[in-house]
Amino acid sequence: MPARILIVEDEALVAMELRFVLEDLGHEVVGTAADSQTALNLAKETDVDLALVDIHLSDGPTGVSIGRELATDHKVAVLFMTANPGMVRDGVAGTIGVLSKPTDEHIVQNAVSYALGVKNGAPTNMAPPQLQLFNQAGA
Amino acid sequence: MSDTTSAPSGWTEAERLAALRDYDILDTEPERAFDDIVDLIATLFDAPIAVVNLIDEGRQWFKAEKGLGVRETPLESSFCAHAILEADRMVVPDATQDTRFTCNPLVTDAPGLRFYAGQLLKSAEGLPLGTLCVLDTRARPEGPTELQLKALEVLADQVMTQLNLRRALKHQQRSEAEFRAIADSMPQMVWSTLPDGHHDYYNARWYEFTGVPPGSTDGEGWNDMFHPEDQERAWERWRHSLATGDPYEIEYRLRRHDGVYCWTLGRAMPVRDAEGRIVRWFGTCTDIDDLKRMDQAKELLSQELSHRIKNIFAVVSALVALSARQHPEARPFAQSLRTRINALARAHEFVRPHSDVSRPTMGDMTLHGFLAALFTPYTDEQGQPRVRITGDDAAFDDQAATSVALLFHELATNAAKYGALSVEGGYVDVETDHSQAGLYRLAWRERQGPAIDGVPQKSGFGSSLATLSVEGQLAGKLTRNWNPDGLEVLVELPATALSRRNAARVVTKA
Repeated sequence: MPARILIVEDEALVAMELRFVLEDLGHEVVGTAADSQTALNLAKETDVDLALVDIHLSDGPTGVSIGRELATDHKVAVLFMTANPGMVRDGVAGTIGVLSKPTDEHIVQNAVSYALGVKNGAPTNMAPPQLQLFNQAGA
Repeated sequence: MSDTTSAPSGWTEAERLAALRDYDILDTEPERAFDDIVDLIATLFDAPIAVVNLIDEGRQWFKAEKGLGVRETPLESSFCAHAILEADRMVVPDATQDTRFTCNPLVTDAPGLRFYAGQLLKSAEGLPLGTLCVLDTRARPEGPTELQLKALEVLADQVMTQLNLRRALKHQQRSEAEFRAIADSMPQMVWSTLPDGHHDYYNARWYEFTGVPPGSTDGEGWNDMFHPEDQERAWERWRHSLATGDPYEIEYRLRRHDGVYCWTLGRAMPVRDAEGRIVRWFGTCTDIDDLKRMDQAKELLSQELSHRIKNIFAVVSALVALSARQHPEARPFAQSLRTRINALARAHEFVRPHSDVSRPTMGDMTLHGFLAALFTPYTDEQGQPRVRITGDDAAFDDQAATSVALLFHELATNAAKYGALSVEGGYVDVETDHSQAGLYRLAWRERQGPAIDGVPQKSGFGSSLATLSVEGQLAGKLTRNWNPDGLEVLVELPATALSRRNAARVVTKA
């Protein structure tokens, strides 16, 4: 089932590659945001099923609060993708987990499919081992 | 005639005078303890004159005197100067009959002394300082009684005991004054407590730094001087040290006189008596604020740099993937290049400078921890790792990380393509062995994979990369055994190869 996905990433090349991978899978990328303002505006203007959120953005390490807000206020499924997964070691309320960058398209495919499954009530596949899931109770 | 009991031993007059002055007794006021002694010994001898006599340079000075009416006389006419040269005790029954004194003005003229009995006053170190002596204008040919001589000896001892006590007290005061002078001149804050931890001393630097009134931090008041967030931790450590006698060491923030909290290093050691009981604690606080701030700035910078490097890996990886999109025929090539880059990024993540926040979320910062993370993709349906790591773990650093990452990435990739990881149920045993001194051995053994019928005809770039990592970079040796039941790769590394920096540190220490 195609999904509407928001990419929050300040490295243009990484964002572009991610967009291609997601579009190959048949998903629609509703936008790419490099900072928190743009990300939150996009989430207000349009329906988003899933957001892939980097933590260090052009306006600082704002990814954590973006992820939390998207998950709790906009009911968006949120996966963090960061070179520094320790930043969210204790989990972030409402979000699913974190992928350590760099990653590759197979891992992204599996993680996205798992996250959309979670959002729709039942994951259709196992989470890829590279995806660290947050303990929802703990977060 | 004189009665001598022992001969003087080797000392110089300069040493004797130094010892006398060390008692700091000359020209002090009369004291009852000494007055009582001369009274008693005069009574016991039924003699008009008794003195505690100290032989100074050119004079004799009396700490206590009875029947003389002066505190000092010149040395020329002294009986006691002779006593000091002679022995522990000197008795002159009739001075007019003793050639040493027949010309003495005190004998020939007033007061016309005849009888003398003197007991030497000797310092604890054995140097003669003077005498306790009795004089009479009446000759006593029969000499003193045994009892009188015994009393003279005992009371002379008492005089020395008094003098020694005063000297000990003075030394203690002096060493205390010296301690305070040293403590006050130190750049560090110094403090001291009773065995129960009651603070009763701070040096000048403490009061200068904190600006609090002297005495206001005595007892338990010290803790209020530290940052509220550090107080409980400091209390806990301090109580632990008081309970166990363990040295105290802590970094905490101390409030400066201007209200700013500064990082200080607090340390304390117990002082024990001969029986090992703690009698005091002495502690210092060292201002380490600048150091701490520099450290934090350095840490921040290195983390920022490190984060950027990690990000560059992500960008390069994306660039490879994007470039390959234009050339579908290059996609397998791009994919394998990408996984190699990702393995390097993972190695970097493991060995880069870390804060508590950035530390990898999985595993330890050791070889085993790193390998486990590297092999995360290879798990079976139950989520169990298909590469099983056993043996001796080891620390490894950034210099070795790249090579180790490439070696095992290539081995795993190859196994996933052609070897044990290419078929269901296949797995790999990785064994690390540090049992032989100076050597670290790694064994990669593929199990339950496709049968092998000999050495492959040609080896790919991946194998060259693995060999290059071990033999070119880590100065080790790599052997491949194409056993029928699976590939076995044996790697021998110098033990220092994994952590050259640590090895260098150890060598420097030794």
